[in-house]
Amino acid sequence: MSVSESEPSQGSKIQTIEELHQYLYKGLQLEHATLPPYLTALYSLHPGKNSDAWHVIRVVAVEEMLHLTLVANVMNAVGGTPDLTKPSFVPNYPTRLPCGPDYFKVHLRPFSDEALDTFLKIEKPAPAASEEDRFVPMDWAALGLTSNGSAPPPDKLAELEESGTILGLVPGEPTQRFLSIGEFYEEIIRGINHLEDQARKAGTTIFTGDPARQVTPEYFYSGGGDVIKVTGRDTAVAALTLVAEQGEGLHGGIFDSQDEIAHYYRFQQLEKGRYYQKGDNPGEPSGPDLNVDWSAVYPVKPDIKLADLAGDPEILAAAKEFNQSYATFLTSINLAYNGQPDLLLKAVWEMFRIRDSMNRLIRNPLTGHPGANAGPTFEL
Amino acid sequence: MTSYDDTDQMIFPAGAATQTSAAEAAKGEWDAVIVGGGMAGSIVAEQLSQAGYRVVILEAGPGKDLDLAEYESYLSRFYGAVIKDNQSPYPFNPNARMPRSTDTMPVHPGTPRDDFYLVQEDKYCTDTTFTRVLGGTSMHWEGKALRMLPEDFNLQTKYGQGLNWPLSYDDLEPYYRQAEAELGVAAEVEDQTYLGMYFPRGYVFPMHRMPPSYLDQTVARGVDGMRVNLADDDYTLQVRSFPQARNGVPNAAYDGGKGFVPVGAVSTSQVEEGERCQGNTNCVPICPVQAKYHAGKTLAKALRKGNVKIVTQAVASKVEINEQDQRVTGITIKNYQSLDSDSYETYTVKGTVYILCAHAIENARLMLASDMQRMSRSKLIGRNLMDHAYLLSWGLLPEPAGTMRGTSCTSGITDLRGGRFRGTQAGFGVDIHNDGWGWATGSPYTDLVELVDKRGLRGRDLRRTLGNQISRQLLLAFMIDLLPDRSNTVTVDDRYKDAIGNLKPVVSLKIPPYTMRGAAFARKLATDIFEKLGAEDRTTYDKDRYSAVEHDGQWYNIVGGNHLAGTHIMGTNPANSVVDHTQQSWDHDNLYLVGPGSLPSIGTSNISLTMAALAFRSSTHIVRQLRAAKAPATVRS
Repeated sequence: MSVSESEPSQGSKIQTIEELHQYLYKGLQLEHATLPPYLTALYSLHPGKNSDAWHVIRVVAVEEMLHLTLVANVMNAVGGTPDLTKPSFVPNYPTRLPCGPDYFKVHLRPFSDEALDTFLKIEKPAPAASEEDRFVPMDWAALGLTSNGSAPPPDKLAELEESGTILGLVPGEPTQRFLSIGEFYEEIIRGINHLEDQARKAGTTIFTGDPARQVTPEYFYSGGGDVIKVTGRDTAVAALTLVAEQGEGLHGGIFDSQDEIAHYYRFQQLEKGRYYQKGDNPGEPSGPDLNVDWSAVYPVKPDIKLADLAGDPEILAAAKEFNQSYATFLTSINLAYNGQPDLLLKAVWEMFRIRDSMNRLIRNPLTGHPGANAGPTFEL
Repeated sequence: MTSYDDTDQMIFPAGAATQTSAAEAAKGEWDAVIVGGGMAGSIVAEQLSQAGYRVVILEAGPGKDLDLAEYESYLSRFYGAVIKDNQSPYPFNPNARMPRSTDTMPVHPGTPRDDFYLVQEDKYCTDTTFTRVLGGTSMHWEGKALRMLPEDFNLQTKYGQGLNWPLSYDDLEPYYRQAEAELGVAAEVEDQTYLGMYFPRGYVFPMHRMPPSYLDQTVARGVDGMRVNLADDDYTLQVRSFPQARNGVPNAAYDGGKGFVPVGAVSTSQVEEGERCQGNTNCVPICPVQAKYHAGKTLAKALRKGNVKIVTQAVASKVEINEQDQRVTGITIKNYQSLDSDSYETYTVKGTVYILCAHAIENARLMLASDMQRMSRSKLIGRNLMDHAYLLSWGLLPEPAGTMRGTSCTSGITDLRGGRFRGTQAGFGVDIHNDGWGWATGSPYTDLVELVDKRGLRGRDLRRTLGNQISRQLLLAFMIDLLPDRSNTVTVDDRYKDAIGNLKPVVSLKIPPYTMRGAAFARKLATDIFEKLGAEDRTTYDKDRYSAVEHDGQWYNIVGGNHLAGTHIMGTNPANSVVDHTQQSWDHDNLYLVGPGSLPSIGTSNISLTMAALAFRSSTHIVRQLRAAKAPATVRS
């Protein structure tokens, strides 16, 4: 992680407030994109079994919602309008995320060692060695989307963006993507510093948002980490730094600055079979043992779509109902991010409804797919 | 062995509950020996640990860490239990039994039965309980955290009833605040400033109040402004929020603007859960996410420095006393091997001071089994047993009112907790139960049986009828004061022993006319409230139950409150009490009896907050005694 507070504003790709808003929207999309895969894996666990895995995934999912809230606070602070209801906001799974040199697919699938491997890749710390390394060329040919590796034409590109299949492109520069989520937030911090420096020279500020639109800690806690009310440059940088380091760890450490175990290391505990505790080195957890039962999992059919459910009218109806509940939930939190923060409290029971609705799907076998269960499609 | 994480409030040091054997504990010389790892014992241990003393806690319950896996084993046992009583999450333990409400029935001398723990030979039997696992009764309590009223401390002077305390509300007020911080109490000062209760200027509770349920609001529409005349005084009723030891929204103004950090689920690893109540509505016995306070949260802190050790499966069976100077010389424990076997080994654990924190009934039982009444100048050990007398009234509201949503109880009526009428009849508080008629009728399970077996409903009809019926249920629980009375007792009797030969407690509790006058008034008030709300009164009392009490030609059922108190009351001299205002024994100067047994009266507040405040207060006196006795030992890590 190379996020820092007082970097000179050199090399910022963000030159206008509109571009900053565009980046922050991508941030919301990115933070949310991890939720469906985490939730699918979480609720695929047999109840009463796999308590350790259950709690590890649950905490990470709750903290992704915290990150979503923090990015929304930054967006509101700089006069933007968070919108979680755009058609492309929820990706079409499998989607691709930018993390490290590999551009890998993120699937909706049950808890498994492959799923855990993906989660580790999502959260993997990838500090850039130099300025040049912060970006990786976008190899469109490798994705089979163009034959010569160049970016697709603008209308095709717009369609890909609309479908939410590709995440992590540098906005406005479809030939490049970010090395890591950390570098993506680093770019936003640079942009904020650059734009705020310029604004201050002109005697103004980019922090023109209505403070009443901020989500403050009374509306959100649990899962570790506190909401930061964003009112200026320092709090904006603090919020984005927390988002980045809570995923990947502070300066490569296991813990973030609020003493929370970073997501990468939380997941690694499941791989290593031990919990981390204070004083441990990365890769060498020395806390209590933990157990993972890889077989105590419902066999959710990966990346299931409504179209796969034609032979199961009852499951199809339940899957549609789930998508509707999920859309209602996103609409509620979107309203919370748009001036009605107390709606976050009411979203709690919607989350219970989502849980119950997911469980209904995940615990039912699919007709015509022996050994596979249904699951949420997240097609909104 | 892993080292302790000394920064995270919610980390329970791994292995802390199992790594000290009884044999090791018996070899050591401790600054303090504490009997009981519940709320009082944990608070005292934590306070002594802070002061640098070496403490051993002797816990009768099974020897597991309070980690998430253990807690989840309690939860899954609770989910699977057919009868979800207060003890249903906990394994049956023949070596340290607990009373169960389902075991309540009179025992006839000579009966060869052993399906009970509390021995009751009277016709009236209380179904009261307390819990014997690490964490004590805080592992089943509801979490209401009311202060006592200023007038509760001098009831005798004011109304000629009960006993005065050797302490006033003023004396206890700072310790109430300390207890509210430790337990994490959610409330608003403006809601709690009534009947003389006061708070220092600028004080706010750690967290904002729990949101009143829709049911509370429905009841308030009928009750708010209702007028009641009692002993020539007029009272205006209103529905008021209860303070609760349950995580809510932290108050940013707490502690001069520093705010409050709620303590969530404890475990041996970072789990980040339970920092806010989710409204699961099964607060009693066990909160699924640990948003409700339990003593494990204090115990985790107490264990952090490494100078507090726990020995589990260690049932205190005798307090050893030097007959010459009357000082305690040790606690003899029976350390049983497992829950499946009655084999045990006996050890005596020694220290400078001894603190019995085993709850009102067990403290008395242990002292009586140790023949300490012989040395008591007051002869009051085991006397003045108290518990709140609960009268339940239930009705069916005309419209669905959201019953079964929110925490078990968020609001009630508190206007009749105090007043001049207490000269002739008991005061009471009223709980509005968000969990329906369960306590009175066994709902919702009984509703289901009735709808299926008697009315033949199924499918959609069943679902709709069940939902409609349950969401209209209103249960009002009247928590009625029961004054100290020497004839309400805990005793022991050689005929009644448990599996490892410890004497069982014999309890005799009668509901006096003073309390029953309050109950009769409460019953009348319930019918008035139901009428105001248009609710159909479904209350029935059964004179054939063990809980039946007759008053003025009417039968009532008075059920236990699990607020046991008063078996070693505090007072002003060795003739009128067992302990002084610091909870130090009058008769044994290195012995403290810390817990609800010390309360000389219980008024109309759930006892835990007051007990916790007293535990903090006594801790400062114990530290003073230890400091005088010896310099603090160096802490070894």
